[in-house]
Amino acid sequence: MLPDPIDCVVVSYDSNTFIEENNFTESNRDDYNLKYVEAVNSSKLLNLVQFFNATEEIYAMETARSYMVSKRIKIIIAIPVDFSELIIWGYPGLIDCITDSSDIQKIQVNINAVYDSIKIFVSQNNLTPQFELNGFEEFTIPENYSSGYNNTIVLVLSFMIIGVGMVSTILIIVQEKPIARLLLTPVKRMEILLAKYITYISILIVQNISLVMTALSFGLYLVGTVFDLFLALFILGFAGLAIGIFISTLSKTKTQANQLFFATFLVLILLSGIFIPIEAMPIYLQAIAYVLPLSHGSPLITGIITKGKSVFGFDFFSLLGVSVVLVVLSFILFQRRKYEV
Amino acid sequence: MENPDISNNTMVLVENLDVVFGNKHIVHDVSFSVEEGEIIGMFGISGAGKTTIIRVLTCQIEKKNWNGNVLVTGLSPSKRGNHSKILSNIGYVPQLELLNLYFELDPIVNVEIFTSTYGMDKKKAIITAEKLFNILDIPKDTWKKRVKRMSGGEKKRLSMAIGLIHHPKVLFLDEPTTGVDASKRYDILSYLKKLNQQLNTTMFIITHDLEAALICDKSAILREGKLLEFDTPQNLINSLPSRGLVARISIENLNQEIIKTIQKYPSIEKVLRVGNETIEVLMEDFEDNLPKLMKFLFENELKVYSMSRDVANFRRYFQIRIQEEEEKENRKNRSELMNEGDSP
Ligand SMILES: Nc1ncnc2c1ncn2[C@@H]1O[C@H](COP(=O)(O)OP(=O)(O)OP(=O)(O)O)[C@@H](O)[C@H]1O
Ligand SMILES: [Mg+2]
Repeated sequence: MLPDPIDCVVVSYDSNTFIEENNFTESNRDDYNLKYVEAVNSSKLLNLVQFFNATEEIYAMETARSYMVSKRIKIIIAIPVDFSELIIWGYPGLIDCITDSSDIQKIQVNINAVYDSIKIFVSQNNLTPQFELNGFEEFTIPENYSSGYNNTIVLVLSFMIIGVGMVSTILIIVQEKPIARLLLTPVKRMEILLAKYITYISILIVQNISLVMTALSFGLYLVGTVFDLFLALFILGFAGLAIGIFISTLSKTKTQANQLFFATFLVLILLSGIFIPIEAMPIYLQAIAYVLPLSHGSPLITGIITKGKSVFGFDFFSLLGVSVVLVVLSFILFQRRKYEV
Repeated sequence: MENPDISNNTMVLVENLDVVFGNKHIVHDVSFSVEEGEIIGMFGISGAGKTTIIRVLTCQIEKKNWNGNVLVTGLSPSKRGNHSKILSNIGYVPQLELLNLYFELDPIVNVEIFTSTYGMDKKKAIITAEKLFNILDIPKDTWKKRVKRMSGGEKKRLSMAIGLIHHPKVLFLDEPTTGVDASKRYDILSYLKKLNQQLNTTMFIITHDLEAALICDKSAILREGKLLEFDTPQNLINSLPSRGLVARISIENLNQEIIKTIQKYPSIEKVLRVGNETIEVLMEDFEDNLPKLMKFLFENELKVYSMSRDVANFRRYFQIRIQEEEEKENRKNRSELMNEGDSP
């Protein structure tokens, strides 16, 4: 079975005016550029999302880059200015390829896919198989930063923040016996649970500020803003809190809450996409994985620290949605919880 | 809705209360009232429905499960809108401290948590708390230590202080003396009396500790969800034959046969076996009949070790009243059985 085709964009500069060095004649030939696009289209390894003619659309490259930031595509294939000319005059062809290198393991796969398109192009047009592929990496970590540290922190942060959020809250309702007595005062049930949320959200904020500062002081390479990173950690932590408090309002005993916690955490980890890629899962598991918060942790944080993406995107709103649903459920469960003194 | 028949001093009014859970009829047609400043004891063996009644009064049972006219400090718990007003008018001391106190925090912080729920001023609350702690002899060195480290009796008294922290009109106490050792039981009871006298707090105590009747202005006796009696303990004792005078007699080789023989003596109302060889006897015209009874015993060749006379206490009254009820029920069941046997 072939892997899923890789989403890409082709940006062509081919029909731009090219000045021949020897006789200073101008040329703007583009005989081959659409033929190459055809080759990309027929490659089974690539999926052409869009073709830009940079001569007409001056912001073509910017648009393409924004696609890459938002993860719509993995590769930008650029057809250089003298593409057709070089081929016509019998020089080796030249293709520029910009790959998303925030996922280091996939770089080679991406380049191989582009080579496949070149192979098809050469054979379709009976050209000499002499071709040059200029690879550029986008979103790599500069050499004066530790890429190891950056890659580890992404995993550690999302695990830690969701985990700590859950651990600190799974017992707060089951364990607090005097709630029964508190309910015999004019206080409302809603108010008790709301007070819990406010307390733990405050703790979360303090915890996240110190985490972000520590991570930066240890030399985190951060393209995006500190605020985006903070907000990303906050929404992850909030999802953790929401799961924890939900488990706490659901459980009848401490033991039950602990068991539910371990079961939930195991599922979260297994379906986080860190050990098993989400795309490799059966479709129903994929659906579950996208509902669970941990699957959003790594993409969300990577997006901000290596690509400078804004925090507000699919991952953020998925996390927010899941958390809100859990918060609402926890209020309903708490309202129905039996308390007797 | 204010009830025009009741005086402003009625703290709790219960008329024809029935409580039904599914097909279980727990409380049957119970009526009583509690006036301001009174201590009321509700006595009954386990499962009689005491806690259920207190739960109705403290807004813990949904209206669909109960029926009747109930007013607590003039407000009916049947309306959800009244709940928070009722709950700020009453105090509650639950049976288990575990459900009442934050064990990992100190008494003062516990007080602060509970007063915040009443929206009280923190400083005033602490002053009230210190006053209550002093009345209840909670040692000053425990005020800032974790509740966990306090003795059982101290926890109970702290729990009572918290129940009273917002100057409630009525204080409900669920089994205040169970689980407390014998010598401490009297302490707790005398503290309750002290609080009642100093703060004029109305108290409603449910318990199966019959000793608590010592401090009660009125006692209610509950059996299988039915209210058998509701009066002052003295009136209840006085309602016994000869106003509760008893003869305590020890007889050698006492057995069921001998008790049956004694029961045949005409003016005997009740014979209770209170020890291995001891019985207590209640009679009409006690003074006249006692010598005659003694003569009867000698004539029947029973060897009497000792005889003393006494007045029944509330414990004895409770025992007699419950026994009477059981006998009545047995007779009823038996006649029902016979009727069934007769019918074709
Ligand atoms: N929610 C309920 N659903 C069904 N039955 C109930 C419920 N609450 C109480 N009961 C039953 O009502 C009866 C009276 O219970 P209650 O707790 O009022 O007794 P009690 O007099 O307080 O006894 P104890 O002295 O043991 O505390 C018991 O048989 C109990 O099983
Ligand atoms: Mg009870």
